[in-house]
Amino acid sequence: MSLKRVWALIKTEVFHGPKDVVFVMAVVMPVLLALFVNLAFGEIFTDRAKLGIYDEGNSPIVSRLQSVESIDIEIYYVEADLRAATASGALDMGVVLPADFDNGLATGTVRLKAYVWGESLARNRSVIPIAIADAVRGMTGSELPVNIETVALGDESSLPWSDRFLPLIVIMAVFLGGMMLPASSLIHEKQRRTLEALNVTPATIGDIFIAKGIIGAVLAIVMGVLTLAISTSFGSSPLALVLVLALGAIMAVEIGLILGAYIGDINTLFAFWKFGGLLLFGPAIVFMFPQIPSWVGYIFPTFYVIRPVTDMTVMGLGFGQVALYVWILVAIVAVMGLAVTSVVRRLSTQALRLNS
Amino acid sequence: MTDKSIIVENLTYNYGTLVAVDHISFEMGTGEILGFLGPNGAGKTTTVKMLTGQLLPQDGRAILLGKDIARETQAARKHIGVCFEQTNLYEQMTALDNLQLFAELFGVKEFDGYALLKRVGLEGRERDKVSNYSKGMKQRLMVARSLVNRPEIIFMDEPTAGLDPVSSEAIGNIILEERDRGATIFLTTHDMWEADKLCHRVAFVEQGKIAAIDTPRNLKQLYGKRSLIAEVMSGAGLEKREISMDTPDTARSVEKLFEKEKVVTIHSEEATLEDIFIKVTGRRLTE
Repeated sequence: MSLKRVWALIKTEVFHGPKDVVFVMAVVMPVLLALFVNLAFGEIFTDRAKLGIYDEGNSPIVSRLQSVESIDIEIYYVEADLRAATASGALDMGVVLPADFDNGLATGTVRLKAYVWGESLARNRSVIPIAIADAVRGMTGSELPVNIETVALGDESSLPWSDRFLPLIVIMAVFLGGMMLPASSLIHEKQRRTLEALNVTPATIGDIFIAKGIIGAVLAIVMGVLTLAISTSFGSSPLALVLVLALGAIMAVEIGLILGAYIGDINTLFAFWKFGGLLLFGPAIVFMFPQIPSWVGYIFPTFYVIRPVTDMTVMGLGFGQVALYVWILVAIVAVMGLAVTSVVRRLSTQALRLNS
Repeated sequence: MTDKSIIVENLTYNYGTLVAVDHISFEMGTGEILGFLGPNGAGKTTTVKMLTGQLLPQDGRAILLGKDIARETQAARKHIGVCFEQTNLYEQMTALDNLQLFAELFGVKEFDGYALLKRVGLEGRERDKVSNYSKGMKQRLMVARSLVNRPEIIFMDEPTAGLDPVSSEAIGNIILEERDRGATIFLTTHDMWEADKLCHRVAFVEQGKIAAIDTPRNLKQLYGKRSLIAEVMSGAGLEKREISMDTPDTARSVEKLFEKEKVVTIHSEEATLEDIFIKVTGRRLTE
């Protein structure tokens, strides 16, 4: 492999490569889908947690909480209204401050009852208790344990639709760019016979594949990060998240290069996208509908991209808790890398499949 | 023409049961132009693919500039240029960008694309997109692209097919200039006149085998006949008379013709490569 030759091919691809429907799809579709989902189901414009308060004793903590910028406060005068608002999803959490709340602070005992909306974002569920604990510390000047007795309303196990769509959006962003771009680029080169011209220069088929793969992988990672940014879902381990996206992008590129090597025209590529989409997006569909047994997802290779991403973004898990999935993903990427190498060797010694 | 630039020994390739190239052997000297002539399906393109490292020979070997193309493919490719029959340029790029890309792939330092484009008659159109070029201009750009690395061996596959006479002549002149520079040129063509004019030697290829290989002159002498064609005025108008030049009494026959007939025109005629090809292979080149 020659870095100079790979760089020359990358420059040509970036500045003069086909800006066709595949490229537009790869760049525009994931962004549009992410925007749509977040506008329709998410909190793209109201990303602050919503806390309702029913205060039986007129506590000064309410005014303290009202000054916290990261949460929206709504005051309720009847507990039943607070509960109803939480159950409907208007609030992420509804807190009942008992009449003796301030006395409790003086004795060092803080007990609260809170209604929690089952579909609230994990991020919001964690922000509110932290804000309450900060407010208590501000009033007492000490670290008092805050015991919150939660009452879940609605389906606690269910997720908001914006979170359910996230795996689909991410996998589409990664695979449209990572898989379709190198595949369509190779097909174009074959159809226009420019691959034949490159193949009689010192540039190897490996150089050509690497150049197209790098472009696809970079675009896939950028689009993956962009869709997560639109969905404000970076979790607590953003670097680990980018690592998983990068591995997913490499997997997508590997599939794209193999497809590009053997598929003769763009129509067939799109046919594969339609049919093969089920294989690629299967785990995302499983995630979207909890009624489907979760083991179904394990049989799809893309599951090992989706699972760590959703665990880190939606569930807020750390890298250590998803490491097993990431190692399986590394193994899949390595095996597919061997497959791509085999294809490159085959193409290097046999006539390129060119459409005449 | 001193050293051997190309040595081909028993080169063979089959597509399944179809024998495309059948144990062909030949050599080319440095600075030689070899015309590889044959009808469609004769095995010309498969031979070129093996010689340029696009196909791995199933038997035999090809040595280019001392390098086995199957084993030292990349090293050999640095010194070859290929001009394809079918246009395969990056049409969305300018002519200059096309050449620049290939110059970078060949690792050419201080490449002057303008000079090369001027040489093929494309000056003033360097920054036009190739998609706006005519067929003749694209073919000239293809020729230019095959020269970016100043190759020692140039493979040209039907470089003038379907071109107007002006473009054909321009490309013919470039081939001769490259020969003068010392490049070895492997030329496949259907155009017997072009082959006769440009090539030191021609090879007739039929069904994957070389049926004959020699200089055009030798082939004509070996397989052709020379004659004098005269037009004479008779009572019925102009008539043709043919006198063989390869018999001992040619001079006497000519004398008799002038004595007995009213000769209007007379000229010599020799066999064309097309005639020789038919005689050797039993087929026309363009069937």
